[in-house]
Amino acid sequence: MTFRKALVVAAVALSAACGPKDTSIKIAVAVPLTGDMGTEGQGLRRAVELAVEEANASGRFPYKLVAAPYDDRADPKEAVNVANLIASDPRVVAVVGHYNSGCAISAAKVYARAPVAMVSPAATNPEVTAQQNSADWAGPRMVFRVVPTDDVQGSYAATFASKKLGKKRMALLHDKTAYGQGLAEQFKKTFLEQGGKIVSEDGISVGDKDFKALLTKIKNDPSKAEGIYFGGLYTEAGLLLKQMRELALKHPFAFISGDGSMTFGLFDVAGDAADGAYLSIVGVPADELASAKKFVEDYKARFPNDERKPFDHFGYEAANIIMAAMERAGGPDRVKVIEELRKTKHQGVLGTTVFDDKGDTTSKIVTMTRAVAKKRAFDSVR
Amino acid sequence: MLVQQLVNGLTLGAIYSLIALGYTLVYGILTMINFAHSEVLMLGAFMALGLAALLPAIFGEGLVGLAGMFVLSMAGAGLINVLIERFAYRPLRHVSRLAPLISAIGVSIILQNGVFIWISTQSLTFPEPVAIGQVEVFGATISSLQVIILAAALLLMAILHFFVEHTKLGKAMRACSDDIQTAGLMGINPNYIIALTFFVGGALGGAAGVLYGMNYGSIKYNLGFLPGAKAFTAAVLGGIGNIRGAVLGGFILGFLEVLASGYIPNGAQWRDVIAFTVLIIVLLVRPSGLLGEKLAEKV
Amino acid sequence: MKKALAWRWTPWVALALAAVFPFLAATLDAQYLVRVGGVIGLFMLLGLGLNFTLGYAGLFDLGFIAFYAIGAYTTAIAMRAGVPAPAALVLAVMMSLAVRALLGLTILRLRGDYLAVVTMGFGEIARLTINNLDALTNGPKGLQVAPWRPLAFLSADPNIQYYLLILIAVAGGVIASSRIEDSRVGRAWIAIREDEIAARLSGIPVRHYKLLAFTISAAFAGLAGGLFAQWEQFVTPESFVFWESILVVSIVVLGGMGSIAGVLVGALVLVGFPPIMQWKLSADWINYRYLFFGLILVLVTLFRPQGILPSSRREAELTS
Repeated sequence: MTFRKALVVAAVALSAACGPKDTSIKIAVAVPLTGDMGTEGQGLRRAVELAVEEANASGRFPYKLVAAPYDDRADPKEAVNVANLIASDPRVVAVVGHYNSGCAISAAKVYARAPVAMVSPAATNPEVTAQQNSADWAGPRMVFRVVPTDDVQGSYAATFASKKLGKKRMALLHDKTAYGQGLAEQFKKTFLEQGGKIVSEDGISVGDKDFKALLTKIKNDPSKAEGIYFGGLYTEAGLLLKQMRELALKHPFAFISGDGSMTFGLFDVAGDAADGAYLSIVGVPADELASAKKFVEDYKARFPNDERKPFDHFGYEAANIIMAAMERAGGPDRVKVIEELRKTKHQGVLGTTVFDDKGDTTSKIVTMTRAVAKKRAFDSVR
Repeated sequence: MLVQQLVNGLTLGAIYSLIALGYTLVYGILTMINFAHSEVLMLGAFMALGLAALLPAIFGEGLVGLAGMFVLSMAGAGLINVLIERFAYRPLRHVSRLAPLISAIGVSIILQNGVFIWISTQSLTFPEPVAIGQVEVFGATISSLQVIILAAALLLMAILHFFVEHTKLGKAMRACSDDIQTAGLMGINPNYIIALTFFVGGALGGAAGVLYGMNYGSIKYNLGFLPGAKAFTAAVLGGIGNIRGAVLGGFILGFLEVLASGYIPNGAQWRDVIAFTVLIIVLLVRPSGLLGEKLAEKV
Repeated sequence: MKKALAWRWTPWVALALAAVFPFLAATLDAQYLVRVGGVIGLFMLLGLGLNFTLGYAGLFDLGFIAFYAIGAYTTAIAMRAGVPAPAALVLAVMMSLAVRALLGLTILRLRGDYLAVVTMGFGEIARLTINNLDALTNGPKGLQVAPWRPLAFLSADPNIQYYLLILIAVAGGVIASSRIEDSRVGRAWIAIREDEIAARLSGIPVRHYKLLAFTISAAFAGLAGGLFAQWEQFVTPESFVFWESILVVSIVVLGGMGSIAGVLVGALVLVGFPPIMQWKLSADWINYRYLFFGLILVLVTLFRPQGILPSSRREAELTS
């Protein structure tokens, strides 16, 4: 086989993989579908697909809606590529995305020029929406965010640690990402205000597996931390919990983290060691809200082999909020959808969502939960 | 606390060493960086997970089942490595020195994405091989898992040492590593020895993957990349191509990481910076690594 | 094929076509390709840069993206401090050159794969330092960069503006590369790459020339990084991971080491392929994007081990 023949074969194989043109209306899901963050992105994709399928089945729309997946690979450059592709496709009405703050900030600038609305289910850096108030912003304000910024959860957790658990000295850990560091910084601020003391502060890297050295340091430090607050995701949180148990760092030594860790994946990574970890969640836990309970059941029925990922309910909510705006706008019109999104008052899996003038959700409800490994569940703590 | 940190460093170092051996064996014979080695490691862990579900039925629970899982995963990982060599590297062996590297990167991407698409997009729980217990020694908490990992790694290194130094095949491997052309003239079939080297290297990588899964309790499609890159660094630190150097480099890197995050304030986030800085300094003082031989080479 | 490439006007025709393309993109319904073309151009610059180190001097560098990062962050920080955009680009190039020269002075005594690992280490050191030095770089949260709209008289679309700007940079880079390649310096590099000892015996100051090749590379990376920061108006450490260094090495090796046309084609294939798949693959196949990418890497390497367009000089060596 010559080189040229190989190319022809490859081209044929690829063209077989390309789909036929259709005329349905698209809601874009722009998330990392491959690469290191692929796990979380695939979850978001499923959540949006579920929302769109439900809407199609209900017959709310006179046209067929599809959730069109776009892979940004958690790489800002690819996110901007994707944003340009989405912006140039007139059948896309709005975007659910992006997952990383770095991707969301860069891509939003492209969406603004189109303009097409972007509703982020996971990017928590305040700058994602705050940049719209800058004088350089070219386009209307079209960024919305159903996930609250870091400050809400971080300070709730700090109050919880000092008031409810009576902790005076905490060790701070975060994963050096915009999300994790943001949470930890806010925790620190509030915890200090409440008279607590942060005895140590360490950054780890996403993908690190071995935290024993760090935990040994925290355990043996003369300042005697009474617990850890971790800003980051469930993989690292799970490993931290597992290794805490191996080093006999146990109750009443507390482990507190945010919603990035509150997912079933935590039990896969940490096993029984997840028991007793405190995890905050924005809004009300799914079991206590009828609409959320339905989402949990539907998700399980639709994707029996995949468990929900930490931001899936935000993705589901983002899609539903977009579809509600489309309904009010009377058609798949990008600009009208942006205007209607601004007027959102949505009752859904996160409770009531209303956007402030920046586009951030005004919902400040945070609930603290406690992991129960045996049930693979998170019980809310009163 | 020092004893505890040393124990932590030993476990980490043992895993790095096993992976580094895979890089160094292949490098010693072909002077090529087997970029896909990190994926062999990952596949070893996934095979062990698959076997863990099957084997107890055949071998029963306990150590026999554990050993069976280990040996079969190692063999599987070794075979995969041999296949990679056969189809992606051998056709390029005499063409250019960097072409196999690019093809290795391609293989690595294919394997990682293949597992992502066809096996699982998420973390999978790796079963605990034995009930985990803890002992207190000199104020350090040592888990039975750490003991198993260290024992298994040391045992494998001892077997490798015996194989390379005291068997005929090992001798042939060393001969090829010294000078593959001359070895060919002496009646050694280089293709056979290269395949054998890839098998041994892959098997060690597979073993490291299993230990990695046991130690951290969960596995994911991208687990190979970071330890792979670190173990490769360790192999270079010890002097790439040198078997003892790989082991030494692995343990040094393990200790370095532990000490950096355990003793330096805010050290965890600077850990890799510290490790790489040490690497650079060591190489400036000893340009062929700690135990490497001085050699003239060209790209 | 060979004839077409050898035709002396081929580069100029290609340049003219590339320059006209963005203005036709709207009618061809391919505005997306303007963006993709710009990104390909950035990686052509990176490839042309690394070609000096890897292709001409034969030094193996696995951390080249660090200089792209240095260029991007220098531009971002300078522009936030009020430096005009073109001056920020100059600063970016100078900063990259300075760091690269210092690094080269320290590590160039290392050989082959030891150098590869040390540069890989430097790449990670640079990224982690950017991620950890929150006071200067704002850490993982990234830095916003004020918009700069060059060539606004040609088009109001920033994608077209930057596409053209990058095209100019690539054209300049190609001209500079080919001038240097044919100069005394270029011939000295080839001599060193082929036989370092013989070169030294012929009176070539090897260390000096190696350092020169190693350093010049950074100018291209710094410029590319600066343009990237200005185009995206935002920089974050996530853009400068190890994978990007590997991508640039793959561009040079797959295209053809030491071959300017090869590097350009390498960037076109490797950087163009994933976004085109993003565009053309249906939803069911989108997850397979990088699997196909890996296959392309392996297949092209197996069928064209010397690169897609190897340099004529190298080809002569390899076939003799």
